[in-house]
Amino acid sequence: MTKLVLLCLKCIILCSTIEAVFEDQVGKFDWRQQYVGKVRFSHFDIHVQSSKKVLLATEKNVFAALNTRTGELFWRHVDKAGPEGNIDALLQHGQDAVLVIGNGRLLRSWETNVGGLNWEVVLDPGSFQSACLVGQQDTVKYMAVQKKTAISLHYLSNGHQRWIENLPESETVDYQAVYSGGNGEVYVLGVVPHSHITIVAYSVDDGEIIKQISVKAPWLSSIRASCTVVGQGMLTCVDSATASFYMLDLHVQPQMTQISLQSLGLDIYPGFRPGLLSTQPNPARPPLSEFFLQLGSEHYLLLQLNNGQIVSLRDFKPAMLASFATTGEKTVAVVMSPKNRTACSVNLFSADTGRRLLDTTLIFNIDPNGGKPEKLYVQAFLKKDDSVGYRVMVQTEDHTLTFIQQPGRVMWTREEALSDVVTMEMVDLPLTGTQAELEGEFGKKADGLMPMVMKRLCSQLILLQAWTAHLWKLFYNARKPRSQVKNDVTIENLSRDEFNLQKMMVMVTASGKLFGIDSKTGNILWRHYLDNIPPNAAFKLMVQRTTAHFPHPPQCTLLIKDKDSGLATLHVFNPIFGRKSHITPPALPQPILQSLMLPLMDQDYAKVLLLIDDQFKVSTFPSTKNVLQQLQEMASSIFFYLVDSSQGKLSGYRLRKDLSTELIWEVIIPAEAQRIVSVKGKRPSEHVHSQGRVMGDRSVLYKYLNPNLLAVVTESTDLHQERSFVGILLLDGVTGRIIHEAVQRKARGPVHVVHSENWVVYEYWSTKSRRNEFSVIELYEGMELYNSTAFSSLDRPHAPQVLQQSYIFPSSISTMEATLTEKGITSRHLLIGLPAGGILSLPKMFLDPRRPEIVSEQSREENLIPYSPELLIRTEWFVNYNQTVSRVRGIYTAPSGLESTCLVVAYGLDIYHTRVYPSKQFDVLKDDYDYMLISSVLFALFFATMISKRLAEVKLLNRAWR
Amino acid sequence: MASPGGQAGGGGALSTRGGSGARRMKWALELSLGNTRSRGDRQGGQGDVVYPIGYSEKPVPDTSIQETDKNLVEKRCWDVALGPLKQIPMNLFIMYMSGNTISIFPIMMVCMMAWRPIQALMSMSATFKLLESSSQQWLQGLVYLIGNLLGLALAIYKCQSMGLLPTHSSDWLAFIDPPQRMEIMGGGMVL
Repeated sequence: MTKLVLLCLKCIILCSTIEAVFEDQVGKFDWRQQYVGKVRFSHFDIHVQSSKKVLLATEKNVFAALNTRTGELFWRHVDKAGPEGNIDALLQHGQDAVLVIGNGRLLRSWETNVGGLNWEVVLDPGSFQSACLVGQQDTVKYMAVQKKTAISLHYLSNGHQRWIENLPESETVDYQAVYSGGNGEVYVLGVVPHSHITIVAYSVDDGEIIKQISVKAPWLSSIRASCTVVGQGMLTCVDSATASFYMLDLHVQPQMTQISLQSLGLDIYPGFRPGLLSTQPNPARPPLSEFFLQLGSEHYLLLQLNNGQIVSLRDFKPAMLASFATTGEKTVAVVMSPKNRTACSVNLFSADTGRRLLDTTLIFNIDPNGGKPEKLYVQAFLKKDDSVGYRVMVQTEDHTLTFIQQPGRVMWTREEALSDVVTMEMVDLPLTGTQAELEGEFGKKADGLMPMVMKRLCSQLILLQAWTAHLWKLFYNARKPRSQVKNDVTIENLSRDEFNLQKMMVMVTASGKLFGIDSKTGNILWRHYLDNIPPNAAFKLMVQRTTAHFPHPPQCTLLIKDKDSGLATLHVFNPIFGRKSHITPPALPQPILQSLMLPLMDQDYAKVLLLIDDQFKVSTFPSTKNVLQQLQEMASSIFFYLVDSSQGKLSGYRLRKDLSTELIWEVIIPAEAQRIVSVKGKRPSEHVHSQGRVMGDRSVLYKYLNPNLLAVVTESTDLHQERSFVGILLLDGVTGRIIHEAVQRKARGPVHVVHSENWVVYEYWSTKSRRNEFSVIELYEGMELYNSTAFSSLDRPHAPQVLQQSYIFPSSISTMEATLTEKGITSRHLLIGLPAGGILSLPKMFLDPRRPEIVSEQSREENLIPYSPELLIRTEWFVNYNQTVSRVRGIYTAPSGLESTCLVVAYGLDIYHTRVYPSKQFDVLKDDYDYMLISSVLFALFFATMISKRLAEVKLLNRAWR
Repeated sequence: MASPGGQAGGGGALSTRGGSGARRMKWALELSLGNTRSRGDRQGGQGDVVYPIGYSEKPVPDTSIQETDKNLVEKRCWDVALGPLKQIPMNLFIMYMSGNTISIFPIMMVCMMAWRPIQALMSMSATFKLLESSSQQWLQGLVYLIGNLLGLALAIYKCQSMGLLPTHSSDWLAFIDPPQRMEIMGGGMVL
């Protein structure tokens, strides 16, 4: 018996599809883009004059080095997501970069040339406050890490702790900053808000407290926000209420001296929020005595501290950003000021005098579809004639990094917003211009015979022209080597290919920037930044009109909802060109709960969008008379459901003719015991080709294909491993009828669900056996169809048969999605994003509740694999071979024009696009198909037939003569 | 069929007669005594040829042989009519041997088994012409027809047992259209 089973398995393994790509197919159908996220800290590698590196530490917990010439990654280290891997500080010294990670949990030193780890040290627990390099006699050997209650000094060479000291009175004093001026002392600055400043000085050698003083400062609430150390240890604070500077010498500290801003000749308007910016080029020496004072959003002041007196060097107004840069012994001030509406100019100023340096203007063109500049990172270098040259990296509000060289040449841009894609859609490209022209001819209304003839001739002429141009291009390119022929896709020559494999990927990012990406090459074809997006907005992207209705442009609608106020806005745009549509979306004065796309169309072929507000009233977009009339006719068959996970309530509504709604059902899941994690319906674009499954005896088991079925996943609030559970509820969205309920005891989330056709697959963590498990539920109607022509949830007397099976999966997963094809003939695969960066294509065949434990004749006839609890991960199932996709957040699948092919986009920190063929390419000739051989054989056979026919005729004639 | 000319060789005097007077003899043997004639004489005096006794110019129908011929034809016709029936045991044996797996040889067998009766039925009129001489023509024709139909039924049964006939509901599964959706539903978590 076992032999038989083994034989069966072997057969199946041999017969099942081979997914792996061949070596020469690498990069042919797929591409990957790697991102780092919004930059938090950035340092230019300045210890070598000709260095091409910029180090970035980002809010996505990524530490990376970029090539400043090309913008490509030299190396990248992705730490844990969330607060555990949060990068708190980045200190750079020479070749080493030291990171403080996870709220002061770890200290890591990286070698910046190759990105290797020098050392890693686990710090004592405590909330991290600040860190700085500590130098002594012009050499930097230590770094200080200051936490809420303690300060420790570490060797830079190996991370070992030199000493650790508790901070005095840490319960009352809020220690916020640490400073070292290179004189063998480390100062910790703390504040009791609105009372006094506490300064503790430690000796670098043994951690002994040299002195501890407190100075009255009733106006101060936070050191980090309003204070900085300038010059020879002069703590300088600025207070907006009294509009004055307060200065305190850390070495002498008798008293705080107050200098009014008015005395500097500054006019202060009330309510300004000042900021200070100083620079300490060498940690072994005190900071420079020059510093910036920011007075308003576009007003900077370069000041100098001179023998206790503050001198104003230069007033920059308007100035958007200001920064310092140091090369060698020279320090310059860099100021970006607006030039006109579309450009900014960046200038260098001597830090000592405030004098403008000649020939240092750099023009930065603001992208009209981007955000405003937010941060300025300057790489200064000494030219051959000892003057200072520089390049700048500008970070804008939309998380874009732009690297610019003088006099304004953009060397590269990186769209770091793409590291945080929230939702996406794939839209068909339009036909080529000529095809569209032809279609347009028939689309327009006829206006007489002659004009029609003329129009026809014109379009034929255009076609001829396009064809000759194409021929000429072919001829021209034929002489070049193949590698040099570049197929640049631009927005102008964008057109649908033969099998609709090339599509436009519309991506919505958390920063509010929209992107249009060509799916074939990964080029960004358009970008559009929506400003004033609230930081915790929810997005929903819908395609209202596809490209199929030619004279009307395709139309996408993005619903943006502010989670705090509940108010929503609509952004209507053309997904091919990214332009905002001229259609004005309706104003939505009420908070919006959900939206619903109806299959109805208005006279312009735009699908109707229903928006449900918090009064459960419905508004439509577009809301023409035609639409309202159609809606009135259809109203009785339009239903929607809302899930409120905070109250554990699912409710179903029906639309009335007057566009109000009535509650028709409600399911309460007690929020104390379990909470609703996710609700998954079926994808409306999904086609199911086969209505049933053929059994071994050749009868049919019909699938229960309820388009209104919802899979509701709940997790227990009790997380104790004996009592936690995961529940799954299959519910009809129209009637609220519970079709099936399953509870997985001793299980815990996160639960990943895929709901498609007649099956639901979910994955959870089993706390009992401490492993990841997959479970699959399949629903069948039985051996007979109740109603084969129409499906109505209101008329379903029989409950479906439910089958379920579970399996062990060897890895945890980050996301899961099912493949989707045009007609649904191709078998389905599950695409599973693994935390290790692989994307696994697991045949659904392995997740089949009908897998028998004992093999029988019938099950063999059905090609069922005998049940085995373990699901294996086979390496050839990885669709992204060695192209690791970090932190996959979502996988999007779209059908192509070929039934065998499904387009896949995995997004997260990286973006990866590929094609998958779940049943192999049954409708395409292979890549290595030997056209030459086949056609030559055909021709040879043809000629052989001709010749032999002739020969036969001659022979026949000769015989007749005999 | 015995010819009358052959029987004439039994007598002592042989006169090879041509079908027509114009035919020249290659040689001639004259056995009449003292009546030696030249060639030219013979030619001229053909009408004087004396036939042996009992010889008649007209052939005499051979009644006894006619009877056995009739039996033979009858038998032959029955052979033809029973041919398809006789093949059935052979076909059964082949069917049994070839098994129910679907591969090239069993398929070829089945095709042949199905094709032969169909071909026979198509050329039914030719067979009827063959059976024309028989007295039991209609009975034989019926038997022939039944035999072929049986052969065809056997082939169909074989197809059925091999699973080639669309008799199950699963064979029509691909033609079922997806049911039309009566309600429109949507929604989701409160955004």
